Amino acid sequence: MTYVKNRLRRTMMFVPGNNPAMIKDAGIYGADSIMLDLEDSVSLTEKDAARMLVYEAIKTVDFGGSEIVVRVNGQDTPFYDEDVRAMVKAGVDVIRLPKTESAAMIQKLVKDIEHWEDEYGIEKGSIGVMAAIESAKGVLNAPEIATATPLMMGLAVSGEDYTADMHTHRYPDGRELEFARNMVLQAARAADVYAFDTVFSNMKDTEGFYRETNYIHELGYDGKSLVNPRQIAMVNKVFNPTKEEIEQAKNVENAIREAKAKGSGVISLNGKMVDKPVVEKATRVLETAKASNLIDEEGNYIGE
Amino acid sequence: MDKVVDLFLSDAATRQKWENLLSSLDLHNFSAREVDQIDHTIGLVDEDGKLVGTGSVAGNVLKYVGVINEDTQGARFNKVVTNLLQYLAEQKIYHSFVFTKAKYASSFEHLHFNLLAKTDEAAFLENGMPDVNDFLSDLPKVEDQADKKIAAIVMNANPFTLGHQHLVKMASEENDLVYVFVVANDVSLFNFNERMKLVQEGTKQFANVKVVSGGDYMVSPATFPAYFLKSPDELIDVQTSVDAAVFKNKIAPALNIARRYIGQEPISRTTHFYNVSLAHELGPDIEVITVKRLEKSGQIVTATQVRQWIKDGDLAKINKFVPESTYEFIKQNMSELQSRIEKGMNIDGN
Amino acid sequence: MEIKTTAVAGTLESSDIQIMISKGSNGIEIDLESEVKKAYGDQIEKVITETLKKYGLENAKVKATDKGALDCVIKARTLAAAQRATETQDKPDLEVL
Repeated sequence: MTYVKNRLRRTMMFVPGNNPAMIKDAGIYGADSIMLDLEDSVSLTEKDAARMLVYEAIKTVDFGGSEIVVRVNGQDTPFYDEDVRAMVKAGVDVIRLPKTESAAMIQKLVKDIEHWEDEYGIEKGSIGVMAAIESAKGVLNAPEIATATPLMMGLAVSGEDYTADMHTHRYPDGRELEFARNMVLQAARAADVYAFDTVFSNMKDTEGFYRETNYIHELGYDGKSLVNPRQIAMVNKVFNPTKEEIEQAKNVENAIREAKAKGSGVISLNGKMVDKPVVEKATRVLETAKASNLIDEEGNYIGE
Repeated sequence: MDKVVDLFLSDAATRQKWENLLSSLDLHNFSAREVDQIDHTIGLVDEDGKLVGTGSVAGNVLKYVGVINEDTQGARFNKVVTNLLQYLAEQKIYHSFVFTKAKYASSFEHLHFNLLAKTDEAAFLENGMPDVNDFLSDLPKVEDQADKKIAAIVMNANPFTLGHQHLVKMASEENDLVYVFVVANDVSLFNFNERMKLVQEGTKQFANVKVVSGGDYMVSPATFPAYFLKSPDELIDVQTSVDAAVFKNKIAPALNIARRYIGQEPISRTTHFYNVSLAHELGPDIEVITVKRLEKSGQIVTATQVRQWIKDGDLAKINKFVPESTYEFIKQNMSELQSRIEKGMNIDGN
Repeated sequence: MEIKTTAVAGTLESSDIQIMISKGSNGIEIDLESEVKKAYGDQIEKVITETLKKYGLENAKVKATDKGALDCVIKARTLAAAQRATETQDKPDLEVL
């Protein structure tokens, strides 16, 4: 496995790193990314055992094409160094750093990754990084964090710790996260990296989950962190493009093909120039539609 | 997913929730004798925050394990037991026990607890290592043990008296080899090391006697948990059966023990009853030989009396009841022993 | 490699295996409890033995309680228990896996 900068990342499913049953089955739900956790879900006395389990799992378990992200322990813990070493050796796709507050922390992570890539003869740049933003300081420094390295895959808002740092807690309406969500998203977009929303842990409140997912989709987030595989289909449903969006994207694609065939450097559709953001959006829409089985191999619409 | 949390029973509301859960699972005994020994309690909380399982540890004994089973079979139970064992491992305890209702024995067996004894009422199981097989293989043995006449005595020896010595002498004369198991629980005036040392010194003259620790396998009424019994009145009965079953099925066969010597009990009705029932439980495989109690100047020699005299500081009287080695020890440690009594050590038990 | 203390790793939950290791003197002695012991007991014991030998332990008493673990889980738990027993858990020996 190797890190790919651009891919579909609507769903990032958290899997506790010391739970073999959940790790074993993680690949069957079709999450775009699987985040194996060595941090919060693993008790202090089990850090060593979880690290070995995750290491073995990455090397041997079939995760069904999902991107593999590992959340290592923080740089202020005695577990961080060995976590990074083991995950580099295992060949993880992305390492997620918790409690990121500065570009320097990300640069240290990249340096540590490179050190172990050297040691194990792994090509540099094989592993991406992402930053979990969990504090006021992290939110304010989001722009420098997002641009800290070319290997930056994305930023994720982590609502529980952030709201605690802000002297509040999670509310159903999410107003307490408004600034953080917008700030992190702006920083991510400006740096051309991905943005992920925080988890929604009340599995009973389906309506609340849809409300929140619709909201962050509307803001422009690329994906959402999940704690339960049942939420994957729900997120995908929200992120599915409409039939009209798919038609429009197909038109853009056709216009590109025509322009290429004509050898023309300028792409136009319905008399207007098609510029880069439009092309990118079309690519994203068609990728998402394909992943959600809304179009077939030939691009024909097969959704309802 | 269910979450594991620490429960602090000192908190009244937590204690109430905990008792309610266990009561719903048909565990009703929350007496101080049972609950006060608990070192740590965990709870299992479901997605709605409801307490759906619990378990505790007291020393190396698992207690009050109970779960509401609505999910896949055993998942909650396994989670609670895993967490209790992890807690013990953190305390460097890798060998643990559980006393439970007989019907729950198989749930524990699925988790690699080995059955030490099972009666109609109760089961006694152990987990981890060193286990009973290690305990037995570490005991001293003699050549051709399988062909020898071997006896055993279990004693607390609190402290070792001339009465104990008399019992050992009888067994020593009538058998090729005698194991003296000294009860290992530390709930007596004389601690285990002291009792062990006094038994060793007081039996030195008998070449065919091996003094060994009873380890965790001599089930004493002092430490037997009764929380899972229907009524506390059953305690002695059930404890006797469990103790006898471990001895009969695990200890005796491995060492070729065919006889067990016990002192006759002329004073305490409870102990007398215990003796009768022990003989019943151990037979017919193991012959129980009841030895008449030694008397000195018309008085039956008992450790209970010796402890009373320690409290009174009456060395002259003690001297009549105990061998030289025990006497010397008491003389040198009189003030320490008296201060233990003053601090509340019960001397009326055994 | 020398065993310094008894140690345990893994849980009794589904798909896991709990491995307890202590000092031994007769090679690798394994006491295995598993619902699939008949079909997979030999394989489970082989993975445990190989992992311990690769780590450098020739003698150990092992108690294993299997709840349907995959080989990769058996390896990871065995190594975790072995490193705890040798008090080297701070230096994970990933080469063994």
